[in-house]
Amino acid sequence: MDRLRTYECMCLLDNREVRKGWDPLKGVVTGMFTKHGAEMLSSKRWDERRLTYSIRGQQRATYLLCYFKANTQQITGIRRDLQFSDVVLRSLVLACEEVPATAYEPEAAFDVNAIPSEEAPVPVAAPVAAEPEITSTPMPGEGTTEGGGA
Amino acid sequence: MSSFGNGGGGRRGGKFGRFGVKRPLVNPTEPLDYKNVGYLGKFLTPNGKIQSRKRTGFSGQNQRLLALAIKRARFLGLMQFVGRA
Repeated sequence: MDRLRTYECMCLLDNREVRKGWDPLKGVVTGMFTKHGAEMLSSKRWDERRLTYSIRGQQRATYLLCYFKANTQQITGIRRDLQFSDVVLRSLVLACEEVPATAYEPEAAFDVNAIPSEEAPVPVAAPVAAEPEITSTPMPGEGTTEGGGA
Repeated sequence: MSSFGNGGGGRRGGKFGRFGVKRPLVNPTEPLDYKNVGYLGKFLTPNGKIQSRKRTGFSGQNQRLLALAIKRARFLGLMQFVGRA
């Protein structure tokens, strides 16, 4: 049964492609959705940040957050196209009930040349005061099991 | 002295009695969304494991949402699988 649903898609984009131009790259990614008959509701840059682990050898990536309306039968094809794309490092497509109002706000201007390179040193964070952690409290039974085995 | 399978140690002070009265990390207004990385990071151990429901203080439903959001954030490279970020 075919029906339309609203979806949210977060894409990790290769910064090397982003530096070549943001608007053409965004057009390439949105083209993967519209190719399958999806209606784009919103697509904007979410963030550019350092990844917690390298993906396809990249330490940094730009996040593109898209909202679109598509036929439920077409999602498989969209996911496949995103997976095989060279510019998209990773993607996550989720169904969502409604599009948040912030998605319709205009995209903030940014300079693609200001993106730090892969070789840029990691900024050293200032030491912060340790927050009180719940984990410091021992769980019941912790440390009392030694020598208990028969 | 009777010990009917309770191991001799009873629960004191309610569900979270031994872990403090307050659950300062849980903020009901914060969405449990994979994009809300700063909030989700509070519920990881120093090694990157998801804290148990006993430690987080979430309801069962919210604990499942928390785990799902953290796993999505990990997949997208927003949070670490293991170790410190």
